[in-house]
Amino acid sequence: MDRILVAIPAYNERATIGSVVNSVRANLPNLDLIVVDDGSRDGMGQVLRDLRVMTATHLCNLGYGRAIQTAIKYALVEGYDALITLDGDGQHDARQIPGLIERFRREEWDVLVGSRYIQSRNYASAPLGRRIGMQLFSVLTRIVTGQRVYDTSSGLKMMRRRVFEPLTRWHFVDFHAEAIVYLMRLGYRIGEYPISVAERKYGQSMYSTLSHLAYPLKTSLMILLGVVEAGLVRRRRGK
Amino acid sequence: MNILGTFFLDIVAVAVLIWVLDLTRRGRLYVGYGVIFVVAIVGAMIVISVPPLLEFVTNWLDALSPVPGFTLLVFGFTLVMLVYILTQTTVISNRLAEVVQELAILRMKSSADSPGAESAAREMDEEDRD
Repeated sequence: MDRILVAIPAYNERATIGSVVNSVRANLPNLDLIVVDDGSRDGMGQVLRDLRVMTATHLCNLGYGRAIQTAIKYALVEGYDALITLDGDGQHDARQIPGLIERFRREEWDVLVGSRYIQSRNYASAPLGRRIGMQLFSVLTRIVTGQRVYDTSSGLKMMRRRVFEPLTRWHFVDFHAEAIVYLMRLGYRIGEYPISVAERKYGQSMYSTLSHLAYPLKTSLMILLGVVEAGLVRRRRGK
Repeated sequence: MNILGTFFLDIVAVAVLIWVLDLTRRGRLYVGYGVIFVVAIVGAMIVISVPPLLEFVTNWLDALSPVPGFTLLVFGFTLVMLVYILTQTTVISNRLAEVVQELAILRMKSSADSPGAESAAREMDEEDRD
């Protein structure tokens, strides 16, 4: 595996995007880097121009899932062998990525998720709402795939080229539990790699009060539909 | 409502539910709309299937707006139209999103072909490190 793309989906992350980009460049100097600017309105575009970083700019805000999908589409058409995604809010430490790449290569995962909870195997450190959500999706994932994934909503992921096509062919909410379940049901290998995550210091989370209610409902429905869709895809492949 | 009526309405509700889920699976109905329909249809099925609940809701609705049975047909028509319109909205929204994505990639690639961009930035970084 020689060509790896690092993609940072970001929306209104003017305060942090510079340090995230510089950190990636410092820790992963041999990898290509793009930022997907999801229609930011806070002047992040100018910061990215000053940094002279390759930027795919959405003309309007499409949401986190679509920003990730843009990065996957780009990686697919440009012939990259693997894609690493990390958030633009500065919560992920780029120094942990070389270890993620090494584990990904050595154990030949199709997707390796940077996990906040794989080491402790509990959610005691998470706030109550997130704890309930993480528990729900972790259990749901185990029920429908037989494998427990402790951190289904991590933004730090590394994925192999062979999953690009299935991830662009179907639709997902935020490429979280629903994408993990879909890929597992298609037979791809998904693992977790322990990481630590810093608390957000600037900007706003992409989840509003309303979306805290809508997100679990939408993701649960997409998990259910993902199981059906994966079954249909496997049947079509078999014919 | 008698058992036959309950059974008939439950069958209709299940058919609509399957229709909505299939549209959502195929990406023709936005998952957020899908969730609203699923919650509403499952809620309606529960109300229809539990007589005391149905009686309570009937009394409550009747107090607010007494309507003839024909309203059920109007309601059904409205539901189908609503799903149809939201499906068209979703399809257009998906097409727009794809155009925005492709445009973003094309613009990035064309800017990368011109002098500057990432490779230049990387060279500068390497010079700084040296």
